Amino acid sequence: MSSDSCATSGAANETASSAPEPEIGPTRRSLLWLKSQLLVKTRREAKDLLLKILFAITTLIVILPFFLIVIQLAVTGLSGLTLDLFTTFPGASLTGGIRNAIVGTILLVLVAGGVGIPLSVLGAVYISEYSPPGRIRSTVEFASDVLAGIPSIVFGAFGFAFIVVFLNVGMGLVSGGLTLAFMMMPTVLRTTQEALRQVPVSLREASFALGATKWTTTWRVTIRAAFPGIVTGVLLAIGRVMGETAPLIFTSGNSLTTPTSILGPASWVASLPFTIWAYVSDPRPYLQVKAQSTALALLVMVLAVDVVANYISRKVTRRLV
Amino acid sequence: MQDAVGKFVLLVPAFAGSALIILILTFLWYEATPIFLAPQGGPSIVIQPIWDPNRDLYGIALFILGSFICTFLAIAMAVPLGIGAAVFLSEFCPPRIRTSLRMIVEMMAAIPSIVYGLWAYIVMVPWIKNSFAPAVQSNPLTAWMPWFQGSTNGLSVLAGGTILAIMLLPTVVAVSDDALRSVPSSYREASLALGATKTETAVKIVVSAAIPGIGAAIVLSLGRAVGETMAVLMVTGNSLQIPFTLLDPAYVMTSIITNQLGYAFVFPLWRSALFAVAFVLLMMSVSFTVIAKWFVKWGMKTRGLV
Repeated sequence: MSSDSCATSGAANETASSAPEPEIGPTRRSLLWLKSQLLVKTRREAKDLLLKILFAITTLIVILPFFLIVIQLAVTGLSGLTLDLFTTFPGASLTGGIRNAIVGTILLVLVAGGVGIPLSVLGAVYISEYSPPGRIRSTVEFASDVLAGIPSIVFGAFGFAFIVVFLNVGMGLVSGGLTLAFMMMPTVLRTTQEALRQVPVSLREASFALGATKWTTTWRVTIRAAFPGIVTGVLLAIGRVMGETAPLIFTSGNSLTTPTSILGPASWVASLPFTIWAYVSDPRPYLQVKAQSTALALLVMVLAVDVVANYISRKVTRRLV
Repeated sequence: MQDAVGKFVLLVPAFAGSALIILILTFLWYEATPIFLAPQGGPSIVIQPIWDPNRDLYGIALFILGSFICTFLAIAMAVPLGIGAAVFLSEFCPPRIRTSLRMIVEMMAAIPSIVYGLWAYIVMVPWIKNSFAPAVQSNPLTAWMPWFQGSTNGLSVLAGGTILAIMLLPTVVAVSDDALRSVPSSYREASLALGATKTETAVKIVVSAAIPGIGAAIVLSLGRAVGETMAVLMVTGNSLQIPFTLLDPAYVMTSIITNQLGYAFVFPLWRSALFAVAFVLLMMSVSFTVIAKWFVKWGMKTRGLV
């Protein structure tokens, strides 16, 4: 029995031996750690070690596709990632750049955010500040969880049937943006709610004690304290809808230039994911390369938004803890 | 005064989500009714396999089957790998490596599905066609297996299931990792004090204590797999046939909507049948969400973790 506990106390041994000599380097420390991990005395310890290695290999397999995708896109797409790609329109034969898609994606995100962010932030404020925990709160939470699980193509079909046809808005910027706004709502609502929950009650109480109303407290104190958390949620949601293709196929139309009006055929708008799809489906070989350059641009944009969001949220957690 | 008005004003956005769900449900149902009422359709389209709008045949069973097969493949690959990685991340991984691994997993979750699809289309599909299929079909160890028969152009349920599995992995890993980390460390200490090794503790104590969270992760990823559109559309081949082997093409529910809604728009029955597919998808995703929530609630209660 005593030998069995050897592997578990290995870490303790290592710290004990390294404590008197503080000049021990990181390389040597990891070697010592590795040695303590590889020390096997019994069959159970061998099984322990074997399973640990197996779990580590599994983790490597899980993250492998990420690197395969990034490397593939970088190798083929990087050569096409010139300044011209971002600044020129594709032209009739699609030999030019993807300026239409980049501007289109930004416009769609602006419309989606303009509608989706206020709605979901205000909704989250209501359920966490104004409503007592109970039926109303759980209904809203349940609704946003269900909404988060609805497939993107269902949003697309709904946006087409409801906004484009039933409300007779027609395809274009407004329909595409609204459909994306629907998809943003659950993410923003749940993260805002979480951010508001983390604001200490003492802040609100201090404000009330100074004679502030609930309304003033909410807007001047609570929301300000929760602001970084809300920004994180908004960025995560933007990163998600930026890459959505399926909801846009039937709602935003497509265009070789940037939209010139709010409604009507002149408001048809291209987007990065839709452009990738259109280029891959096209038999012309140079479009296959262009699709990969576009995908690389989209990937970099999405990951940048994601990294910024994670950075903000990590900084905030550190400040609150 | 201001407070009362504020409360009333905020009521509207609070219920926007619920209103939206009701709107989606009623609208898809409204669009799908014609096919359920028409003599050519009826509720039995859900079990009829033949889809041919030119002959007024609107059986959607083929798409449901295709979705099920791809989803099953994806879950079979993603769940063991994902749980293994989650166990490593939460139980064995040094904290510094853990942070960067978690970051990679979160970035994988952020990659748009069209990018996954593009990669699968230009890398995985040719690989299955040129390397994988010839290799398994010429190797005497695997050549007899019924699921490796038939010629293939690479566009197959295998490609669809694999890319889906890759896309599900971040969800499975992140949610399972959170579930494992929420197991109190006293459980681990008790097990280690009894002389169990670290992996015995991880597998027998921590994983079984975290089963509700892991179950929720699996059910959530089921919903995501069934509803995934672009990546599957690009690699499953979209062929109206029953896939008998892993190398056969298939047609899934999301693909038929994406491919045909544009054309079908002016044909009432055809369009309605596509909305029926969307309605089935919606019902599936809603029930997966409900099951996942119920799973967590049940698990918390039975384990006294509420």
